[in-house]
Amino acid sequence: MHEMGIATSVIEAVRVEAARRPGARVTKVGLRIGEFSGVDRDSLSFCFEALVKDTDLESAVLAIEDAARDELDLTYLEMEE
Amino acid sequence: MERVPLERKVLNENDRIAAALRDEFRKRGILALNFISSPGSGKTALLERTLAGFPPGTRVAVLTGDIQTDNDATRLARYGYPVRQITTAGACHLDARMVERSLADWDLDTLDILLIENVGNLVCPTSYDLGEDGKVVILSVTEGEDKPLKYPGIFFKAELMILNKIDLLPYVPFKPELAHENANRIHPGIEILEVSCTTGAGLDAWQRWLTNRRGSVIVTEPRR
Repeated sequence: MHEMGIATSVIEAVRVEAARRPGARVTKVGLRIGEFSGVDRDSLSFCFEALVKDTDLESAVLAIEDAARDELDLTYLEMEE
Repeated sequence: MERVPLERKVLNENDRIAAALRDEFRKRGILALNFISSPGSGKTALLERTLAGFPPGTRVAVLTGDIQTDNDATRLARYGYPVRQITTAGACHLDARMVERSLADWDLDTLDILLIENVGNLVCPTSYDLGEDGKVVILSVTEGEDKPLKYPGIFFKAELMILNKIDLLPYVPFKPELAHENANRIHPGIEILEVSCTTGAGLDAWQRWLTNRRGSVIVTEPRR
């Protein structure tokens, strides 16, 4: 299982992007995950929730869009001021 | 609420390092292959046979990944080529940074072929680019013919499937043609070789494949 590592990479990427908008709170993280990416969606969501609990990203939820190949992309962030 | 569109790979830090490694390999014409299989499919045995089959003086080196122990490096070092163990201390796959660190003090100019044996696992190594030219997936006849369907990611990404342990076919219910069919459902046209690392069957074809593949590596100009 490498979803913990993938979730950590998602969070690192989200922090880099969120730092461009100081004061905004991340509410949703859009991901695109391909059928052949080797990543289990439920396991990734579980790891992500565990990692953001009690942090400034606690309000962020993952929104996962299916794709056909080996995509593993961060597609958008939703933020509130 | 504001939506900020992003289009970036989740693993872009890994991919950045992998791209730098690929540049280093390409400008020297090094063929780098990433071997992925379940534990026990015969990755190390295949590499032992492969090293033993090279003509003396072949400029080849091996990186071998395991969660614990340097047993594989010890096995592989007997053939006289440079071998280095990467112990991941729990991680279920190699990533590009581990390869970068392991190669840091190697003189890549002395190499034509780099064989990277990943941690035994059909899932996690699939996601991590190591800068290789291609992935090779190994399946053995003591496993199920449906592994390509159960673990489609690696069969989709691998350019070659090696079906190992064919000497055991008389004793197991494995149907090679079904494994071929399943691999082709996930990856139409995937190259397939059948070998036995015990009897040596099929290894000539594998060595020829490797030589041809090495010949297809195009040396790119160093970046200015």
